[in-house]
Amino acid sequence: MINFYSFKNKSYLVSLTLIILTIIIIFIKGLNLGIDFKGGLNFEVKSNLTTNQLNEYFDFIDSDREVLIKREVGSDVFSIRIESGDNNPVFIEEIKNIIDQNPDIEILLSEYIEPTFSEELIKNSIYALASSLLVIAVYVWIRFDWQFAASGIFALLHDVFVAIGFMSLFNIEFNLTMIAALLLIAGYSINDTIVLFDRLRSLTSNEENKDNFETNVNNSIKLNLRRTILTSFTTILALLCLVFLAPVNLTEMPIVFIFGVLIGTFSSLFLVLGIVGDLNYEAVLKARDS
Amino acid sequence: MIIFKQWRLWVSLLLLIGSYILIKPNFESQTSDSKINFGLDIQGGFSYLLELNEEEYLNNLLVKTSQYIENTYSISSDIDNGEIVISKNQNLDALTNIVIQNLGLEINEKSDKENSYIFSKQSFNKSLSDMTLNAVEIVRSRVDFLGNKELSIQKVGLNKILLEIPGDLDNNVKEVISKTAKLTLHLEKNNIVGSKTFINEETGEQVRVQEIPNITGDFIQDASLQYNQNEPVVAFSFNKEGSDLFAKMTSENVGSRFAIVLDGSLITAPVIRESITGGSGQISGGFTNETANNLAIILKSGSLPTKIKIIQEKQIGPTLGQEGVEKGVIASIIALIAITLFMIIYYRISGFFTVITIISCLSLLFAMMSLLNTTLTLPGVIGIVLTIGMCVDANVLIFERIRENFKHNIEDPKNHGFNSAYVTILDSNLTTLFAAIFLFAFGFGPIRGFSISLIIGIISSLIVTYIILKLFINITSIKYLGLQR
Repeated sequence: MINFYSFKNKSYLVSLTLIILTIIIIFIKGLNLGIDFKGGLNFEVKSNLTTNQLNEYFDFIDSDREVLIKREVGSDVFSIRIESGDNNPVFIEEIKNIIDQNPDIEILLSEYIEPTFSEELIKNSIYALASSLLVIAVYVWIRFDWQFAASGIFALLHDVFVAIGFMSLFNIEFNLTMIAALLLIAGYSINDTIVLFDRLRSLTSNEENKDNFETNVNNSIKLNLRRTILTSFTTILALLCLVFLAPVNLTEMPIVFIFGVLIGTFSSLFLVLGIVGDLNYEAVLKARDS
Repeated sequence: MIIFKQWRLWVSLLLLIGSYILIKPNFESQTSDSKINFGLDIQGGFSYLLELNEEEYLNNLLVKTSQYIENTYSISSDIDNGEIVISKNQNLDALTNIVIQNLGLEINEKSDKENSYIFSKQSFNKSLSDMTLNAVEIVRSRVDFLGNKELSIQKVGLNKILLEIPGDLDNNVKEVISKTAKLTLHLEKNNIVGSKTFINEETGEQVRVQEIPNITGDFIQDASLQYNQNEPVVAFSFNKEGSDLFAKMTSENVGSRFAIVLDGSLITAPVIRESITGGSGQISGGFTNETANNLAIILKSGSLPTKIKIIQEKQIGPTLGQEGVEKGVIASIIALIAITLFMIIYYRISGFFTVITIISCLSLLFAMMSLLNTTLTLPGVIGIVLTIGMCVDANVLIFERIRENFKHNIEDPKNHGFNSAYVTILDSNLTTLFAAIFLFAFGFGPIRGFSISLIIGIISSLIVTYIILKLFINITSIKYLGLQR
């Protein structure tokens, strides 16, 4: 049988490496902020032109507005992002009229966001993320001991953070939908973790085998291993269908989530219970006995 | 038959029949309040987020309050940088603490010479929020007049309005919603004191008139597009009070000019030829049919309390939405079939139970969504896919626990296994549920759409596993559930 608990130091090393890599990647590449968080104009257009041809086509836009044109993977759909400037409501109409006159380009979606509002959206998303993390921490703390809450929240932040690194590495646009994806990862991660916590708690409260903490940790993982693999597998199966079939502007979300499921599975199998052990949970159990 | 002794059977039937009744209206053509709406990202359409100017509103409110204090208590005050400053060299006895509180003010600074007051945050926010509700009605009536019937309009935050119009759009919407439409009539005045010059931006015509308007657009009862010698003009009529004012103004000033001013710029400055007693008039001045109609609509609906700014605009073409739905539905069906096949191969008979559980979970979810008149968006669909994932996970947890108990010869493996697994499921699902509730409360746009279907999905999954899945487990022999010993 695999001794998961004995891997914990190696796992810490892996996790530390991932965190450092994420910091370096974000530092070098930055986050590809979408207009939700930066303000500006965004068009999704369908066209059989090439990216270069489209670039030339949008040359008329003042050079003080940055224009970014990107082809969505495996499709004839392009995302065109234009920096915000003065009087966006009028500017977007002008651009729409110009594109409408070109039979080679069809507008699927057009939007703009004022930078003042996108600042509000950033604040708003941080509130949403922070408050739901806090709620998770409090709930786990009430239902289990603080060691579990600390370890669970660490794993969750770890998974979300590394997923942000993944997005930065592959230049995936960071927008409101992606905030939802990160929360999905958080939800999945804590879900996986709690299933293990529940097992460990019930094993350590069992009179016969409560003394050997390491064995209990290994048993909790072993007894749940099949479930962990099955659930990760079925979730990824469902997500793969979404990757290939979701509308072009939503394909990135399931890709990020698949990465999240993998990293979440890693952290729940190799990290969380190790951390609970290292936070000296054994002492708590012993103190409870006497 | 043992099955009829199960209370779960009757509850299951009740759940399924209830779901059927609730889902049914979605397939009927008549409109109903208990239907699932499709978000703009699915059906295509336009969405605008409008922001009313908070600063301008604060200034208006300060002026109004200061005037009120002067008129009611004969106490004069100045407005300075968001404060009402009241000098102490006058009798302030009438200005008791209760009066100040009722005005929504609180003391900011006290000195020997003067007191300064600001609006308390709470009273200002309340007032701002009421103003926005009022503006919602004005915007609604403007868009209604343009003939967009299926619009959804709601207040967001304190001073924002979200306007969503499905389908193809009349391009005038932007034009019509973003105008404040403050119409004022001013008599000509040649004195510099208390006068102001308004300019017509197109023709360059200008006229010096008295600054405080003689009549405002608030008195307008109706307005429409009409033709005067084949020229489009906007005809308007005042209500009783406005008619009297208009008659008085015109009869006393025959021969002089008056300016018609809209949002600070001059439209036209006709000469009063005779007294107008009927309470109606016309505005002419280089309109096209479209601009005259837009102005008529704006005047009819009344003016907005402050300037409005479109801070977010989104237009989703019908192709993207349709493609989204078709692909989304195909993706969900394929995902469902893939999971189903996998579960049946892996768990055999229990796999069938999972399929039934998933289908019941989805019907309960759609039933609740219909009941709550929820708007389904694409992130919402992703939330539903996640729900299916959680539902499958619950099934796996339960089956694994039962197998394990069976293997270790634990007494009553079915009930014991189900119960211990259900505790775990509750723990993990409730954590996600609480997080989703907070997301819903704080989030915006796609985050809300995602969290609402997650919330409803988790609840349905918990109910369905407890009632329907357990029913099937109860009536199935442990031989089939435990599989290999």
